[in-house]
Amino acid sequence: MDVIKKTLCIVFVSLGFISFAQQDSTQVYKKKVLETLEIDLLLGYYEQEGTHASVTGGIGNEDLQNTAPSVVVRIPLNEDDVLTADVGMSAYTSASSSNGNPFNTAASSGSGMAQSGNGDGSGGGNGPKGTPWVASSGASRKDVLTSINVSYVHATDDRNRYWSSNVGASFEYDYQSFGFGGGFTQLWNEKNTELSLKAQVYLDQWKPIIPTEIHEFDLFGENFLTNNQSYFSGVSILDENGNSVASYLPSNYSPIDDVNRNTYAVSLEFSQVLSKRAQFSLFMDLVKQQGWLANPLQRVYFADQANFYIGNVRSIVNYEDPSNTDVFHLADDIERLPRNRFKYPFGMRLNYYVNEYLVLRSYVRRYTDDWGVNSNTVQLELPIKFNLNWKLTPSYRYYDQTAADYFAPYDQHLSSQAFYTSDYDLSAFSSHQIGGALVYTDVLSKYSLWKLSLKNISIRFQNYRRSDGLSAFSIATGFSFVLD
Amino acid sequence: MMKELFTHLKTFKLKKIKSFLILLVVLISSSSCVAVKNYNKVFLNDPDMALKSPLAERFETTFHIYREAAAGANGGKTGGGCGCN
Repeated sequence: MDVIKKTLCIVFVSLGFISFAQQDSTQVYKKKVLETLEIDLLLGYYEQEGTHASVTGGIGNEDLQNTAPSVVVRIPLNEDDVLTADVGMSAYTSASSSNGNPFNTAASSGSGMAQSGNGDGSGGGNGPKGTPWVASSGASRKDVLTSINVSYVHATDDRNRYWSSNVGASFEYDYQSFGFGGGFTQLWNEKNTELSLKAQVYLDQWKPIIPTEIHEFDLFGENFLTNNQSYFSGVSILDENGNSVASYLPSNYSPIDDVNRNTYAVSLEFSQVLSKRAQFSLFMDLVKQQGWLANPLQRVYFADQANFYIGNVRSIVNYEDPSNTDVFHLADDIERLPRNRFKYPFGMRLNYYVNEYLVLRSYVRRYTDDWGVNSNTVQLELPIKFNLNWKLTPSYRYYDQTAADYFAPYDQHLSSQAFYTSDYDLSAFSSHQIGGALVYTDVLSKYSLWKLSLKNISIRFQNYRRSDGLSAFSIATGFSFVLD
Repeated sequence: MMKELFTHLKTFKLKKIKSFLILLVVLISSSSCVAVKNYNKVFLNDPDMALKSPLAERFETTFHIYREAAAGANGGKTGGGCGCN
């Protein structure tokens, strides 16, 4: 009996030590927020076609190609902290923006605005010609955006709180943007409920490029047609009937007095687990923008002012037809929009795990702003897993919006208006996007590059159709690696 | 800045924002009703169940911001950049 008592005593004391030791080891051991360094290499290509170029006042060639490589590196600094660096480029060529200067020849010895252009020199003399329907070879036809964003996330020991901060910048030829922000995330209810609050500030600045004819007016004033230094010196300007006149004057134009554009955003996100197979999140942003919110390169034409052209007189009657290759309508002004814009989008995501082969992902958004734009977005994705390695995700997205209060098509604005734009991105339209993604996951890390093991390869493709005729195609590839 | 923000809130009578906040309070207060244990989160931990967009979707989000007037409420970028090409 004593032996049994002693044995039980030893067992209970040992269990006590074991349980104490386990508690202690639990306190010491912390799972890393990020186990090892991760690298994502991404490459995106986008192209579009359309007939509502905003640089030429709402009509014209909208062809655009964009290639965007980027690298995202996530570095675990310790068990609790992760540093992420996101570096990218985006290079585009655009028919629309090329027509900031649409003219095919340097007209005079003037200010050197016009370098070369699109015309073939046929029909209508040797003066400069242009058209909104053909891309120009002007300097603004292409640009490269470079961007860098660095973010830092800190998690508390219990992984129920996360603090984050970020800083970033992007640069283009005519635009630069600096951004910074911070956020806080709280989880509770056994990590079934999550609430995030983020704040973000962007301090942007234009280096304005304005259309050639407006630029010369800005530079030389009311005598810009006769000034020897002006691009238009000696150039024949035509009225609607083809008569050579000297009365063209974009008198509504006033210089851009503030090149800044600031954005202040507050984002609130709430996530909740609904069951073992379902979870959802709600998003709400409050976004305030102020500064020069219009694009200085975009032309506007007034219905209540006479029209003036440069180029082939015989093509004026066909101006709005793509067959016009050699006459260009001179702008009445550049786009003007209010100095403030307040946006408040509200969105929801709901994901449901159907079975080991299928997941249903859904997203809806309602957007409203104080420019009169209301929009709805619905997106559905169906990731289908064929096996551990291969997954196909077909997707569909519907979008619609009402027009901004300041939008009107080509040559329909009135000069008495305070604000005007013919940018069809602010018009009323709906769009459909159909596409998918194919993902290969290297479960056993069979492939490696230097000390990096391949995690997965993905390719995404999307076909986009807008009800105003714009169509686009995008394809993106991604390679994810983890450090061995 | 804050003053203007509040002016906008008043001007727009942001019923939707109020509704959202009320909904949020209700959801937070009722959230303890659902508590799936960590060991039962196998399905929820599937990468496709993440309540955010895949990284490669950023290119689509960018062209949506450029070609559409609406932006935000998707966990992505809400501003910055001219979106002018």
